[in-house]
Amino acid sequence: MEVTLLVEATENAFRILGKAREHAIGVLDTAVQLTAEETRFFEEKRGQLLFTGAQRRKTRFQNFVGTTFILFAFWILLSGKFDAFHLTLGAMCCVLVAYLFHDLLFANVRVGDMRIVVARFIAYIPWLIQQIVLSNFHVAFLVLRRKMPIDPQIIEYKTKLETDISTVALANSITLTPGTITMDIKDGVFYVHALDQKVAEDLNAGEMEDRVAHIFMEADHLYVQDVLDAARIYGSLRV
Amino acid sequence: MTRDSHDVIVKTLARLLMPFMVVFALYVVMHGHHSPGGGFQGGVILAAGFVLLVISHGLEQTRKRMSEKVAEIISSIGVLIYGGIGVLCLILGGNYLDYGTLSKLLRVTPAEARSLGILGVEIGVALAVMAVMCTVFFAIFTAGESSQDDRSVK
Repeated sequence: MEVTLLVEATENAFRILGKAREHAIGVLDTAVQLTAEETRFFEEKRGQLLFTGAQRRKTRFQNFVGTTFILFAFWILLSGKFDAFHLTLGAMCCVLVAYLFHDLLFANVRVGDMRIVVARFIAYIPWLIQQIVLSNFHVAFLVLRRKMPIDPQIIEYKTKLETDISTVALANSITLTPGTITMDIKDGVFYVHALDQKVAEDLNAGEMEDRVAHIFMEADHLYVQDVLDAARIYGSLRV
Repeated sequence: MTRDSHDVIVKTLARLLMPFMVVFALYVVMHGHHSPGGGFQGGVILAAGFVLLVISHGLEQTRKRMSEKVAEIISSIGVLIYGGIGVLCLILGGNYLDYGTLSKLLRVTPAEARSLGILGVEIGVALAVMAVMCTVFFAIFTAGESSQDDRSVK
């Protein structure tokens, strides 16, 4: 009888000990898991930081090289001397200036888009010249008439362009076109002085803005080019 | 006035023009012995670039590139280059700023040594002029609220 009691008590004690061991193992497991997770989290964060740092360095290096080449082309244009001494001087100057001012020329530019932007900008220039010639004739016609039917007015013009470089391109295009002058830009609103009603209406039609937006690949509306393409497709369908 | 301008056109165009202005100034300095220009003119154009930067981007942005302290150091270095070349000519046995004697040091003909000597002196003049112009402009610009300028008259 006593022996049976003793055996039962021992078994109970062993069972309790086993449970305690399981608990302890569970707690240890959880601790190890938590530590591992923490380590992984920090490693991931470090990797991300390394990655963004590398990207920033890469962008900075690309800006530096691009600025150097552009400035060296400008130097050759100015200098016109092709002996080794002056070219070396120029290269040294351009590398120095590019090192000091590499963040100025390409600020707020998505690097991958550069070639498309340059190509579209060059394609935009003939259209701009055509507009300048046309409005030149218009303004000359207005001014040379005996009655001089001008109607000066200031129009406010909300733009949908987003970056500062495209805004400036549009503002200077407006100023270059005779009859209109950009006076100020405040919070995306252009204040434009227009010489008469027709010029102001042309501006409000917004073709120039669409084309500038197309250059800098902005504003998720239909570009002029897309509209022209669509019109051609519809025309062929109708026929 | 010391804050940046809110005019996006002025800001962007100043940002785009600044590197070209500096390269043009360096061109004026480096070709001073071939064409019109030289150390003083180039230095003034350099300083004009920084003035443009102050007007468009504000004083704080410009201080990251050219602070008063750096301007003082650069002006001293410019004068040092000028005087150093002159004294070097004296040491080599010529008159003050007699570049022909530099031919012994540079191992070129005296004519080439004169050309290189003038170039060096012009670089010194350009640095000094730019730094002094920047100092003058900063001093005028911050005359009203000179918080960290301890040289102001008390």
